[in-house]
Amino acid sequence: MADPAQPTAAPAAVAAAPRSTTKAQQRFSDALAGLFFVGPGMLVLFVFLILPLLVALYFSFTNWSGTRPLDQPNAYEMVGFANYQRWIIDGRRVDDFYRAVRNTLYYVIGVVPVQTALALVLAAIVNQKWLRGKSFFRTAFYFPSITSSIVVSFIFLFLFSSGGPINTLIRAVNPGYVPIAWTTDNTGLGHLLLSQFGIVRDTLSPFIRTEVLGLQLWDWIAGPSVALSTIMALAVWTTTGTMMVIYLSALQGISPSVYEASQVDGATGWQQFRFITLPLLRPTTFFVVTLGLIGTFQVFDQIYVLQNDQTARTTTSVAYLVYSTAFEGTSPNLAEASAIAIVLFLIIFVATLLQRRFVGGDRAEA
Amino acid sequence: MRAPFRFTTVMLVMALLLSLFGAAAAQDGVTLRVWTGSSSPVENEFKEAQVAAFEAANPGINVELLISPDYGAQIRAAFASGDYPEVFTVGQFDFPQWQSDGLLATGEAIEAPEEIYMGLKDAFTADEQLYCAPKDFSTLALLYNIDAFEAAGVALPTSEWTWDDMAAAAEALTTDDMVGFSAAADKFRWMAFFYANGAEIFDEEGNVAFDSPAAVEALEFYQSFVANGTGNLPGNLNSGWNGEAFGKGAAAMTVEGNWAIGYLNDTFPDLNWGVTEIPLAPNGGRATLTFTECWAVSSRATGELAEAAWALVNFMTGPGADGAQAVAEAGFGVMPARAQFADTWLEMVGQEYEAFVTGASYAVAPIFPLGYADFDAASNDATTLVMTLEEDPADALADAADVAREIQEELE
Repeated sequence: MADPAQPTAAPAAVAAAPRSTTKAQQRFSDALAGLFFVGPGMLVLFVFLILPLLVALYFSFTNWSGTRPLDQPNAYEMVGFANYQRWIIDGRRVDDFYRAVRNTLYYVIGVVPVQTALALVLAAIVNQKWLRGKSFFRTAFYFPSITSSIVVSFIFLFLFSSGGPINTLIRAVNPGYVPIAWTTDNTGLGHLLLSQFGIVRDTLSPFIRTEVLGLQLWDWIAGPSVALSTIMALAVWTTTGTMMVIYLSALQGISPSVYEASQVDGATGWQQFRFITLPLLRPTTFFVVTLGLIGTFQVFDQIYVLQNDQTARTTTSVAYLVYSTAFEGTSPNLAEASAIAIVLFLIIFVATLLQRRFVGGDRAEA
Repeated sequence: MRAPFRFTTVMLVMALLLSLFGAAAAQDGVTLRVWTGSSSPVENEFKEAQVAAFEAANPGINVELLISPDYGAQIRAAFASGDYPEVFTVGQFDFPQWQSDGLLATGEAIEAPEEIYMGLKDAFTADEQLYCAPKDFSTLALLYNIDAFEAAGVALPTSEWTWDDMAAAAEALTTDDMVGFSAAADKFRWMAFFYANGAEIFDEEGNVAFDSPAAVEALEFYQSFVANGTGNLPGNLNSGWNGEAFGKGAAAMTVEGNWAIGYLNDTFPDLNWGVTEIPLAPNGGRATLTFTECWAVSSRATGELAEAAWALVNFMTGPGADGAQAVAEAGFGVMPARAQFADTWLEMVGQEYEAFVTGASYAVAPIFPLGYADFDAASNDATTLVMTLEEDPADALADAADVAREIQEELE
């Protein structure tokens, strides 16, 4: 905000301090001036980020339907942990919640490593001096990222429909191919793999039917369904470009003298990549993985477009569950949706902390 | 044949409106906020025209019409704040919650409610009190591809068709490129067969009967098409929904509502199709599902504002020329909520769509009582699992019914 009072405020504060300022006083007035400068930003953050979070937290402990006017007496009651209990601990919806958690985990584990590795490889390639038409490739790789994800999702829906181009292409190469219903097949890849060895639920000991967190063990090892895998492919395709650009700028920031020095020492191309490029890219990797983790845990729009009645069980993500609980179906409930959203926040928070520990953002930044 | 009646009604309504708002008009006037969801461009224009006609007839009343593409989220935010429009639309699934939240005024002022279809009034009635005025509605019927039937040498379906006739036809119609029946994994499709077979969610004593033998039989019938290959889910037919699968010629029959008329005729102009009632259950029972929306008045509108609001609602849904009659004459997908205009609607859209109108007399609005959200979710799950052939209808329905029983115990 262009507040004319701001620029003059800090000097005034300093000037107002008596000449014989102690160190403590100086520090205090510095802090005051600092606060004054970050104040507007903090206010915006508080109103649009922290306040809604606190409000969501508060409502997650109520039974507010989301439609009863809040100025009405008895608009809601405090119900303690009832919503959490219903969805996360041992209530009637735990299976829906953990199914969404499972789908989201498959999605995160499938998408983040692939998109990070692919982005690094692509960035390394388009950064080569010998490559012709560099800007063409850079644009081509980045293009999916700047296209609306809704539009891209619809294109995928068309490409992967059972009579669509992908199936037609495979059939042209292999006439015996039985078309796969890419966008509607609920079969898990894990189950599919096991069935190749003749293993299905009924051939295993009844132990596999043990329920853990609302789902049978057999369902936990299902693996992403064919439909979810298609959505994952879409996610990799759209986000790799962005990650590539981030890697590319980091690559160009590495001084050529480091490489020249290693050449003098007789390092091969691979050794240069392994012992120079990769370590120097560590802060970038941390950044890319963090972005990837948060983005994939929150996946919503692709799921919104690509799922249907048939695939809902194997494609619903936690973020989508929040939305559908709040706004869809015959009895939406905002309090319950808030509870799920808070848990999603905690999951992302913990995942980022863990990742920080393993990728070591701190050390690398230092 | 109805012209004299129509004329007098119009005059009566006008007289009533004028007498009601003479006082309001004399003053500065009132402003009504009116919110509804966006549907097809034609319907949006129709709503705008209705409101404009109302304003012209009532100089003292200003109407601020908002047609929202994201109505559900927008009106919920308005409800939460307590500052919400005087007049708004309510879908049948939202009604139980919104009514219990105290958002809606009771509908004593609704004009000639006896003309409105029973099934629609039931959808918007709580504690024997009608709250809002049904705007229009849709019913489900059996759509069939005439060319496919003729090519396969199968007699066209009639309203006297039974489930067995339908199953036999589906088998005869199934070829390499086409299945007999497109069966969406949606409980609001197969439950037409459920009600036809005499099944109910709650029996007469109020016990949960969602897994009764009649219910299981209905779902088994609906699943059988997918199980024996004479039908399939629209997703497996390369389509987003039943209408698309049917229009593309990937299925010779499907169950859809009158919203499909415009879509099919616009998107697939060469499709030669017909429509008849949902086939008779083995016990001779008949049913279909209905989907409807109403115009409601805010419980917070009082005095002049409430009078103006009801005047607008009656203007848009009442027996007058700009109400249900105009809906009928507009002749788009939805049918007028008042029985006397059914013929007008058919004249506009075509007599061949009569089955949708016929269904109105025995249609059921599928509504889950308040507090049964988990059962709603469980019944969706059951439908999906059965239609993807992962579970047996009897087991799936028993699981869903158990959820309902548990809720019932908790609520008591």
